[in-house]
Amino acid sequence: MKLTGKRKIQIGVLLLPGILVFAIFTCYPIIKLFIMSFFEWNYGSILDQNFIGLQNYINVFSDEYFRTAFVNTIIYTLVTVPGQMILGLLVALLLNQVTRLKVTYRVLYYLPVITSWVVASLIFKYVFNTEGMLNYFLTDIIHLTSENIRWLDTRWGGLCIAMFLGIWKGIGWNMIVFLAALQTVPTEYYEAASIDGASSVKKFFHVTLPCIKGNILFALVMLTIGGFNVYTSVKMITNGEPGHQTDMILTWMYHKAFNTGDFGYSAALSFVTAVVLAILAVIQFRLMQNKDN
Amino acid sequence: MKKNIKTQILCHILLIAGLIVVVLPMLYMISTSLKPNGALYEFPPRFFPDLDEITLENYQYILSQKKFYINFLNSIFVSVSSVLLTALIASAMGFVIARFNFPGKKFLFAFIVLTMIVPGMTLIVPQYELAVKLNAINSLAALIPFYVAWTIAYSTFMIKGFVENIPKELDEAIYMDGGSVFTVFRHAILPLAKPGIASVSIFNFLTAWEEFPWANTVINDDLKRTLPIAISGFFGQHQFTQWGYVFALSVFSLVPILLVFIFCQKFFVAGLASGSVKG
Repeated sequence: MKLTGKRKIQIGVLLLPGILVFAIFTCYPIIKLFIMSFFEWNYGSILDQNFIGLQNYINVFSDEYFRTAFVNTIIYTLVTVPGQMILGLLVALLLNQVTRLKVTYRVLYYLPVITSWVVASLIFKYVFNTEGMLNYFLTDIIHLTSENIRWLDTRWGGLCIAMFLGIWKGIGWNMIVFLAALQTVPTEYYEAASIDGASSVKKFFHVTLPCIKGNILFALVMLTIGGFNVYTSVKMITNGEPGHQTDMILTWMYHKAFNTGDFGYSAALSFVTAVVLAILAVIQFRLMQNKDN
Repeated sequence: MKKNIKTQILCHILLIAGLIVVVLPMLYMISTSLKPNGALYEFPPRFFPDLDEITLENYQYILSQKKFYINFLNSIFVSVSSVLLTALIASAMGFVIARFNFPGKKFLFAFIVLTMIVPGMTLIVPQYELAVKLNAINSLAALIPFYVAWTIAYSTFMIKGFVENIPKELDEAIYMDGGSVFTVFRHAILPLAKPGIASVSIFNFLTAWEEFPWANTVINDDLKRTLPIAISGFFGQHQFTQWGYVFALSVFSLVPILLVFIFCQKFFVAGLASGSVKG
């Protein structure tokens, strides 16, 4: 469309608020983050910061606590992403079969998604308490263990709670995404497969899965980003205890910045995380586009 | 057909089994909020309180505290303001990107996609520095521009998609009648993209309503807290956590979300579905 002078101004007026918000609250912080990561920047040096080159990055990568947090985040992502995708897809497949109560199921399965992270984390913290309901069930009712499991006092216990929560909260979202995807699969494909005598399992692997590949990749990208973004649940449930063994990348970053005041270190850590995630997402998006063509 | 009924029953059994696991934690929260506070350390723990034991004392306590009303209103104020601002700003931007070519358009769009990918938490350190500079520490209203900034990229991206589905002929007709870009935006785009804008706004409301790390970082004052911060404030305050209070307040905090969800269900699902197709 040809732009006359008047229209140019009108377009500018419509764009201006958005661009201002981006410039001040996103662009500036991104640039600032990059700059801060090269400086010794802490509570004591608000006015005068020393340029220390790559020292913050060296500190991050030689830090044992960071490595634990990094490994924890990878484990969290590797467990919760496939976990919630498989369960969400399963629920979607079942829902696609039933003719009654569809909406009721959909609403109830979606409840955890709209429950806030703070509330959901507290419920899990309470259920997994050493004297809590779950331990009572495991020891006194089904006698799986002889004594209460101290979930909150060990690294793996704490991580387990966070991962259970992550999967529990994510099933509903995956269900909706895959439900929409399943509805786009042409029924003729299934009919053709039936005529060829294909079993339900065969139909799933040879008709359903290839047809919803795009949606699977979409969910994979979104959930991987979400997995690295894990913060509130771990902060509320274990707060990194015992001894920072259950910290995730972002809870460790937050601790370093706001509890110890080492903003330079946290800036370097944040910058690395952001860049790695951006690269990862671009690769995944490229894969997605190739599959579509 | 017999086989079909069997499949139906099997599917229902599996769905209900799954549902029990999904809903149980929520039920436990509600049942705990109805137990007298003394019973929270009982042994053996019981899922449901006895009928004659059910009490509203936790709810009464929450309702007797003035600060929780203020926290609730704070949450409403911040969430509603940021949702409305984002809807307006993102619609304007989405409309212009979808309809016009202008210098820097490609760069702007690439930037929008980039900010959708990078987790907001990674910017918390420089944003804190910015908040200090802007004198926005411990200010409730100052939460709003930050929430707008976090939701605007995704919103613009989605709304641009919705606008592209609106036929261009309508714009042309308005321009022919001598209408301006603003007329098109107000009288053609906004009404027609409404369902899309609504679905995006529901997600933005959820995001702002439950936001924890940022509000927890910049707000110190009891009376300026939003609800998630108020709920987490029960920890560390007392020797023993008053779980009954925690969950009673949690139930209150879930009510607005549930209402929004129930009344806007059709937008909710439509938004998710289109998001998954467009990617």
